[in-house]
Amino acid sequence: MNDEKLENSIMGKIKSGQVKLKSKYVFLAEKLGLGTAFTLSVLLSVLFFNLILFYLKETDNLKYLSFGKFGIFAFLESFPYLLVIVFIVLIALSGYLLTKSDVSYKKPFGYLAIGMVVLIMIFGGILTYTNLGQKFEREARKGNESVRAFLPLSESRNNGIAGVVSEKGEDYLIIQTPQGLRRIETKGVEDISDIEKDQFIIAVGEGDKFNFKVIKIKIADKKDMPSINRGIDLKFGDFKEKDIKFLPPELLQFDEVEKTCIKECFDLNNGPDTCFKKCHK
Amino acid sequence: MDELTDEQVISAILDGDKDLYREIIKRYEKKLSHYLLKFLSDRDDIEDILQVVFIKVYKNLYGFDINKKFSSWIYRIAHNEAVNYLKKRKSGRISLDDVEYKLIDEKADIRGEADRMFLKEDIEKVLDDMDIKYKEPIVLFYFENMSYDEISDILRMPKNTVGTLIMRGKNSIKDKLEEINKKHER
Repeated sequence: MNDEKLENSIMGKIKSGQVKLKSKYVFLAEKLGLGTAFTLSVLLSVLFFNLILFYLKETDNLKYLSFGKFGIFAFLESFPYLLVIVFIVLIALSGYLLTKSDVSYKKPFGYLAIGMVVLIMIFGGILTYTNLGQKFEREARKGNESVRAFLPLSESRNNGIAGVVSEKGEDYLIIQTPQGLRRIETKGVEDISDIEKDQFIIAVGEGDKFNFKVIKIKIADKKDMPSINRGIDLKFGDFKEKDIKFLPPELLQFDEVEKTCIKECFDLNNGPDTCFKKCHK
Repeated sequence: MDELTDEQVISAILDGDKDLYREIIKRYEKKLSHYLLKFLSDRDDIEDILQVVFIKVYKNLYGFDINKKFSSWIYRIAHNEAVNYLKKRKSGRISLDDVEYKLIDEKADIRGEADRMFLKEDIEKVLDDMDIKYKEPIVLFYFENMSYDEISDILRMPKNTVGTLIMRGKNSIKDKLEEINKKHER
């Protein structure tokens, strides 16, 4: 085929309509779709990184490592795997979408990827100064399944426990945890003489949903695990932490006698349900 | 017609003057054919690929960013087609004309580095055997007279990488030619 033949052949196909221009909207949609997907994956990466930071900072997960080798199982058990896996997948997706952009090849991909990850981490870190994490925590505690899967806050743990001492016996402690009351065996454990009622403790050991044998235990500061603390308050009645929206309207209209009764009832460590039933006329 | 830039011609085509695409074919048929000849041996294959390239370019004209260089875009499409072809066929060859032989000889300063007994066939063989990663920028820079910026747009890699690949490719040509030269001397 000589030059003219090729030219005529192609022009023939164009003129006959055999070869047509693709609509400009196809390219526009492609560009918009790519841009939207990239923006969305970066924003979700920021959110997931924020939730990872929130979880590690506010729950008992990292604190188990302070027990050394005894705390490793508890740490692994309470680690937010799904959150981390989804975050990695989102970062990979963002990187892939970045390579598809028109400008990405101008700079080495390594630099761009590092820059993107650093920015995601910075913005994720900045978000920890908002109450976004707490909003997700509330959703998880309310039983929102899609959030619960990412934030394993409600599951009983077999290798670690953190909570407030509700009762101290000779060989046992009753602990208030976000999951409810748990009895833990302390037989043979050293240094539990310092532990008293109402103290915040963290312990590692082995057990199941019903039994827990302590290996190591220590007094902790509840400020180090605000999420656990909020979970306990929610379960055992610190009224301040409850989401007021979910109380029936009639419970919000107490008279002075009822208020005093409820306060006294709370002071006796009763839960909200018991107190409302007892005091509300 | 000659005074119109490629980008102006494309604008006119997109405004409805389909006939003007003939001008694009005229401007690039020889250039692309020359470029493809550095990777493919069969003239019929080259013509088939050219046909595919020009049709793809036409179909995707709305995807071309009018603020960028059209030549880089069309070379990019030709490059992709050549790479796809090479992946399927795993064959390729370089054929240099005398001007090109002189060009690479002068630009790469091979003569100064090695002995003066190089043969055109030797350079062809060295380029034939060269990894495509180095061959592509070498061909675009030495034979198509493209700038680093244009090569960066065609091969979709940073300008620095283009420079590095050209330098490594050039050194590899020199080394291999020196080896061949030593064999000739024995």
